[in-house]
Amino acid sequence: MGLDIDRHAHLASAIQTWDPRVKIFSLGLFAMVTAVLQTLPLALVALLIALVVLFVSRIPLGFVYAAMKWLIVLLLPFFLILPLTYPGEVNSEFLGIPFAIEGVRLSVMIVVKAIAIMTIAFVTFGSTRFDISMIALRHLKCPSIIVQMLLFSYRYIFLFFSEMKRLDTAMKARGFVKKPNMYTMKVVGGFVGTLLIRSFERTERIYNAMLSKGYQGELHTLVEFKADNKDKLKAVLMVLITLAIIAGDLSGIFAVAEQAWY
Amino acid sequence: MHIADGIVSAPVLVAGFGATALLAAATMRNIETDEIPKISVATAVFFVANFIHVPLGVVSIHLILNGLVGVLLGKRAFPAIMLGVVLQSFFGFGGVSVIGVNSVMLGGGALCAYGIWQLRHYVSIPKKEVVFGALAGALGIFFSGCILALALATTGEAFVESAKLVLGWHVVLMLLEGAVTGACVGFIARAKPELLAGQRLVAAN
Repeated sequence: MGLDIDRHAHLASAIQTWDPRVKIFSLGLFAMVTAVLQTLPLALVALLIALVVLFVSRIPLGFVYAAMKWLIVLLLPFFLILPLTYPGEVNSEFLGIPFAIEGVRLSVMIVVKAIAIMTIAFVTFGSTRFDISMIALRHLKCPSIIVQMLLFSYRYIFLFFSEMKRLDTAMKARGFVKKPNMYTMKVVGGFVGTLLIRSFERTERIYNAMLSKGYQGELHTLVEFKADNKDKLKAVLMVLITLAIIAGDLSGIFAVAEQAWY
Repeated sequence: MHIADGIVSAPVLVAGFGATALLAAATMRNIETDEIPKISVATAVFFVANFIHVPLGVVSIHLILNGLVGVLLGKRAFPAIMLGVVLQSFFGFGGVSVIGVNSVMLGGGALCAYGIWQLRHYVSIPKKEVVFGALAGALGIFFSGCILALALATTGEAFVESAKLVLGWHVVLMLLEGAVTGACVGFIARAKPELLAGQRLVAAN
């Protein structure tokens, strides 16, 4: 399971050495802007930029692709539904099934934007150690309690996966096979319940151990951030690109060009 | 069910973030440090639920369990689910721009589930934890489905048909989530009832 997203944080590249605070801000802005783009050419430009950033960060493409499969499963229904249900005139036909080319355009755009944003998210959080990213979030005025809960949950996810594996092995060893019936639901319910109770008791012990070591709800860290001119230059470059993309999208210069495609 | 990046329109995204901020502020008031462990556990369970697959007919679908989080945490379920959604977006499940929409959708469903769960105090039937756990799980996910359909339908006319299909799909999910949540809550009620939210002490008489 590729959940240790920060496994490529040690690579030395322009992205890894980028001050995490500045990085999260500028790449986050880029992701937000990409999400609201309305023209396909600019969505493609955004994807290209995302891929360039990924390339610069030297995070392997295969690492991102592994998670991409899940995204494609999620988006596949739109590919089937949108062309068939797009309102207005039906202007094309494939194997005798009428569909709207507009619907195809829309679903392609959705996929392109989604891949671009996911790539950027992977670069942002894959190029810095997770705990450092979280401390950077704290510096970006994210409430301390939220940052701490994120850190706790992140740790627990790995614990729960190993706990789940143990439970799964125990169930298999007793000959349990999942089937679509009520009995399976009941067993899965018990599985989740056991996972919850065990994990909760474990967490209480962890928490008490923390309290006994002087934890008072504050996050202390030795990590210090320093943004030099290089960091700022990268941020300015990224923000300028982002602004150019959104300006192009809003001015609609590509909307005309796009019309000519069909 | 999640919504991915790049589908819903900018106004819907902004409305999602706005509603999330409001709900988070309302549900996180007076939060204490000693609540962190329990909330984080629920967040992590909500996260791993995506990897627990259950066969349904010929397909295998994963659990969501936002209703269960509501039953466990009460109103604190909202921050738990919001953080789960944030973590998922870091890992590339879901999306960064739709954190707001997804939080409202799944966290709202959890709050709705908690409301239904609390209704159990007004009835006295055998195994009411199982019954109300199942109802909370089922209606919690259905509420999420309604929000998702609403987000799609308000994005544009092109998505109206998709919204209807989403709604139909959530009726199927309801059965699954209801069955699993009911069984799970019944188990916790027997094994460690203090984990459930809104428990009242039984009067000694």
